[in-house]
Amino acid sequence: MAMMPKRVKYRKSHRGKMKGHAGRNNYVAFGEYGLQVLETAWVSGRHIEAGRIAATHFLKREGKVYIRIFPHKPISSKPLETRMGKGKGETDYWAACVKPGQICFEIGGVPEDVAKTALLRVSHKMPIRCRFVKRRHTI
Amino acid sequence: MGKTFLLKAEVRTKTGTKDAARIRKQGRVPATVYGHKETPTSLSLDAHDFVQGLHQGHRFMEVEIEGKLEAMIVKDLQYDHFGRNVVHVDFMRVDVTERVKVQVPIELKGVAKGTHEGGIIEEHATRVEVECLVANIPEKIVVGVKDIGVGDVLHAGAIELPDGVDLVSPAETLLVTCHLKAAAISAEEGEIEEEPATAGGPEVITEKKTDESSAG
Repeated sequence: MAMMPKRVKYRKSHRGKMKGHAGRNNYVAFGEYGLQVLETAWVSGRHIEAGRIAATHFLKREGKVYIRIFPHKPISSKPLETRMGKGKGETDYWAACVKPGQICFEIGGVPEDVAKTALLRVSHKMPIRCRFVKRRHTI
Repeated sequence: MGKTFLLKAEVRTKTGTKDAARIRKQGRVPATVYGHKETPTSLSLDAHDFVQGLHQGHRFMEVEIEGKLEAMIVKDLQYDHFGRNVVHVDFMRVDVTERVKVQVPIELKGVAKGTHEGGIIEEHATRVEVECLVANIPEKIVVGVKDIGVGDVLHAGAIELPDGVDLVSPAETLLVTCHLKAAAISAEEGEIEEEPATAGGPEVITEKKTDESSAG
């Protein structure tokens, strides 16, 4: 089942703006390899779940998969063949707002080639362009 | 690794976001140098030379500022949002005979015994803090994991450090564990089992409060 919050303060939210780039969560923090988002988008809980399944099935329960994004934002939509008006539609799905630079998935405990293939499979499930990154050289 | 790396730097008179951006466009990196109770100075370095030195594992650098050589260590690095380019460098003035505290990356070597017994190796820390002479800063610390079986743990206190290098991180810092894959499986299943709790949609906190007020 797709990811969604357990408790929220408000049932619906405004669309909001997604300006700029990821000022944080933009480096591999938990695993050794990661998948970095290159575009701005709403990534739905279903996309995230599909990515998780793609990675875990490929890894055959080796290593560890970390999901760095969570769908906090309710996205509403109106039912088909409904006239405009009569208030905001009901929540259709939950999405994570991602910006360029954000790390969405991480993998640790497996060799680089395995992680690369697994994350490539994950990237095919994402609605945006992504790239494979390694842990950054830090001091 | 080669212990010193020579760099040429220019003193920056203009500071701030716009001037820093202008410097970056010229293929240079803004930097600052501090330490030894002297006034901090803003510098700019050639980006290509600096990154090359960094990738060769140099932490200790000799920087020529206005014809004067100064010994420094790279204290901090800032990257852009894609993690591709270094956008700012912090240098700390040091004396060659001085002992400094630095974070050194750990490299795991070998195949753990536990992986043949159905376990997986999990790395909990990637760096340890050590104290050593400026000239002896190790590029990395190689940790052998050959003898680690399922259920075994490796703490920072158990690793072998090069001569003249002392551990600063707490000895009980967890570095590596080896656990059965089964544990990972059950955790995954547990995660899946938890999910139907939110099947009817999330609980709305504010809505609950209005219900209570209307009831009262």
